Amino acid sequence: MIKTRTWIIILAAAALIAAAGTFFTLRPRGEAKLVEVVQDGTVLREIDLSSVTREYSFEVVWTDGGTNVVTVRPGAICVSAADCPDKVCVHHGWLTDQSAPIVCLPHRLVIRAKGDTSLDTVSQ
Amino acid sequence: MALLTAIALIIFIVEAQIPAPVPIPGIKLGLANIITVYAMFRLGPKDTAAILLCRIFLGSVFSGQMTTFFYSLGGGLLAYLAMLALRRVLTEKQLWVCGAIAAVCHNIGQMAVAILIFRTFELIVYLPVLCLSGLVTGVFTGLCAQFLLGRLKH
Repeated sequence: MIKTRTWIIILAAAALIAAAGTFFTLRPRGEAKLVEVVQDGTVLREIDLSSVTREYSFEVVWTDGGTNVVTVRPGAICVSAADCPDKVCVHHGWLTDQSAPIVCLPHRLVIRAKGDTSLDTVSQ
Repeated sequence: MALLTAIALIIFIVEAQIPAPVPIPGIKLGLANIITVYAMFRLGPKDTAAILLCRIFLGSVFSGQMTTFFYSLGGGLLAYLAMLALRRVLTEKQLWVCGAIAAVCHNIGQMAVAILIFRTFELIVYLPVLCLSGLVTGVFTGLCAQFLLGRLKH
């Protein structure tokens, strides 16, 4: 049997580690230049945000009919509308750096920023 | 046992209607696990496995998303294994520990499944914050299970 006091110390330490980890992973870092819109493991689009000149949107449809509206503007991308139940993807707001991807779990959609790569990608 | 499954299922579905306060994918209270922890310490591993699998399956059917089935299954499996081990080590006054550790294991399992499905390793940046919330909510759900066990023993 492990004493309750020991458990408290163990869990408190774990909480501290998790908090520190949260700080390091979720703080803004790295500029988002190249982003990928991926659904179910398949890359739908690759967009070079630094060569976007004006704002535009497109729709992504999942196999069950669920939709996400992705909006792109110079240097940023976001999910502006979605019909998933929790709308975490919409609340994420504009993705401008490489820290955290935009995720829509029910629609298996993720928008992630790649590291600094210069590719001849045509933005639409 | 069927009653417990039904209760867990209802808690799960009702909780799914509550919108997430923060934009973190997969964050939730996990209240249905009050039943899981309670069952593990009151009924044993076999019954708990049955209740858990039923709840996961029916939960994803009723919420209309088959995708959540895989996330719940992955998380639930790891959490179940953790509880199996903790069952030997913890006393009835330490269920809150079980809740917290099981919750973290659930987060890890769920993250693993999500990374496989999305084929995106970057999702892992959300793991620390999910584990943090898991620890906190896990203590709460474990405590609830603890009180439940204490009350219903007589």
